[in-house]
Amino acid sequence: MDGAAEKGADDGMGRLLLIEDDAETAEDVLGDLRGRGHQVDWAATGPEGREAALAGGWHVIVLDRMLPGCDGLAVLRALRQGGDRTPALLLSALSDVDERIRGLRAGGDDYLTKPFALGELAARIEALLRRPVEAPETLLRVGTLELDLITGTGRRGQRGLDLLPREWKLLDYLMRRPGQVVTRAMLFEEVWNYRFVPKSNLIDVHVGRLRRKLEAGGEPPLIHSVRGLGFSLVADD
Amino acid sequence: MTRLLSTTAFRWSFAIALWSALLSLILFAFIFWQTTTLELAENDDVIEKQLAYVAAEPDQAKSRIEGWLGGGIQSDRFAGYFAPDGAWLAGNITELPKALPRDGSVHVLDSAVAVAGGETRSDLRSAALRHADGHVIVVAISPEDIERAEAVILQTLGLALIPMTILSVIGGLLLAARARRKLVATEGAVAAVMQGDLRQRLPVGTGRDEFDRLTIDVNTMLDRIEVLVDEVRSVGDAIAHDLRTPLTRLRARLERSRDEARTVADMQQAIDRSLVWLDQCLALITAILRIGEIEHGRRRAAFGPVDLAHSIAEVAEVYDPLAEEKGVRIVRAIEPDLPPVTGDRELLFEAIANLVDNAVKFTPQGGRVRLSLRRQGQELVLGLEDSGPGIAPGERARVFQRFYRAEPARHSVGNGLGLSLVAAIVTLHDFRIAVSDAVPTGCRITLTCPTIIPARPELLDRARELPQARISTDVPS
Repeated sequence: MDGAAEKGADDGMGRLLLIEDDAETAEDVLGDLRGRGHQVDWAATGPEGREAALAGGWHVIVLDRMLPGCDGLAVLRALRQGGDRTPALLLSALSDVDERIRGLRAGGDDYLTKPFALGELAARIEALLRRPVEAPETLLRVGTLELDLITGTGRRGQRGLDLLPREWKLLDYLMRRPGQVVTRAMLFEEVWNYRFVPKSNLIDVHVGRLRRKLEAGGEPPLIHSVRGLGFSLVADD
Repeated sequence: MTRLLSTTAFRWSFAIALWSALLSLILFAFIFWQTTTLELAENDDVIEKQLAYVAAEPDQAKSRIEGWLGGGIQSDRFAGYFAPDGAWLAGNITELPKALPRDGSVHVLDSAVAVAGGETRSDLRSAALRHADGHVIVVAISPEDIERAEAVILQTLGLALIPMTILSVIGGLLLAARARRKLVATEGAVAAVMQGDLRQRLPVGTGRDEFDRLTIDVNTMLDRIEVLVDEVRSVGDAIAHDLRTPLTRLRARLERSRDEARTVADMQQAIDRSLVWLDQCLALITAILRIGEIEHGRRRAAFGPVDLAHSIAEVAEVYDPLAEEKGVRIVRAIEPDLPPVTGDRELLFEAIANLVDNAVKFTPQGGRVRLSLRRQGQELVLGLEDSGPGIAPGERARVFQRFYRAEPARHSVGNGLGLSLVAAIVTLHDFRIAVSDAVPTGCRITLTCPTIIPARPELLDRARELPQARISTDVPS
């Protein structure tokens, strides 16, 4: 990774490489990601993708698990063996959990099963582009919201917050990704540590409770719903 | 008969008959060879002893030879006593055989030996010895007796071989015919099954032999196949039906909005609505694929020790807010210090979550859902009770079938796959699930989970190989 690549990721926009053999899917993904301000290159085959990936200079590589001419995992392994740690997101029509484990072991950073919502893909790419606020931080602050990781207390302005353990974890996760769209699936994976799509509106209920606690003093909303996708914690100042 | 000849059973019996005949032949040949060798050895022994006896006393040689020959009664015995110049002195050998070595041991001469009555014999086994004074004694025995004995043995053995072969063939034929009779009935039933009549069953004999056991197994297999095929058939119908409803709506909405939408906002609203229906269809397809994947047992790679108590606590914690909004309480009754079970923690979470999801959905306001976990011998028993309407006894077996929805649920949200997903996960783990009545009302689901699985030790081995990260628990705060 060169310096230019590192720097480009800070504003949430990046140079992306999409390795995907299905032209229709690629067209939609390219259109969507470019529409969001990313700069995206497309490779349609495994060998082509490997060449482009090894050339370097990418912020995130999105690659299909099964490619003509060369397996997506093989491309990833070639990249990792060369010492390149560029974040990679695997796309696959295979939902088998073993497949996912295999993908992550080969050096993948995230795994998305087809069919997926374009918003979900964009949110996950954004999460890979923007490294979350690192753990050594002792105080998380977004606008008037503060979490003291040492004392385990939270405050909204001058008002203390009374949070349950899971609400704390949820808020911690959101505050490390301010302004970023976080999908329901991402929340379930990261906060509850299960890959599972709940049938009922479970996540919304949990987020709703947290939201009520944050706005109990009549403050303006902090957690915003992103329609059809998930949530975003946006600073209020 | 030609059919019988072409059956495997007949071929086998024929082969066995041939084989036993061949074995008998080898045995007979061995007996024959042993007997004749022994007889000849005894014969030669007699010759040499007699020769030594005659030669022991030169004065009595003549009389001993006469005594040995017994005046011609012993027709197979021959002897001669010759002067140093080769002149005949006594016995029925009239001329001294020149080629016979005078060494006292038995030889079979190539040249003929002249005997009394002007005859010559060329088959004699003979021995000769020369005295110090030049006299020569010859003793010989004709092997006629031995040859006769050999002929008798051969005849006896040959005669025995014929009935033996015949008996083996008959026995084989009887066995083949018996197996054939059993097979004919089976073949008829199998032919019907091949024609597509899955309700046919093979006729079961009264015996308890391998064949009857096999028949019973095949029938059990047919029972299972029939159920599965019926299930696939009805699942196919159900999928088509469940997909058609949202797709019909989607089509109508798209068609109408194309004609009627006047603003971008109109169009966006129509597309949003369409996406919801499309997502329903995709969720249904994904659920079916997942169940298939789990049923095929392809998910065992993620198996490891799972703390069920922790899983239950997590599910309850996830569902608490949802239940609270509905005015339903989730009560936990979990015994402390329970051993882990072997399984996939994500799948087990999903199974329990599905059960709790259902329970919360069907419990009226003010009701409760009770989750319990206790040890019972080597097993853990997970109980889930709700105070909902319950499931009628007649419907209990069917709730775990794909797409089955008990009557009260027929019009509620969901694709009817939740419980069949649970059933697939339960089967994958070798757990047992049962539905009964809760007290005083509602439904009770019992999940019985063995804590050790001796029948599948390889699973435990595989579980041990898994990286520790997958089995660590992420206790909040």
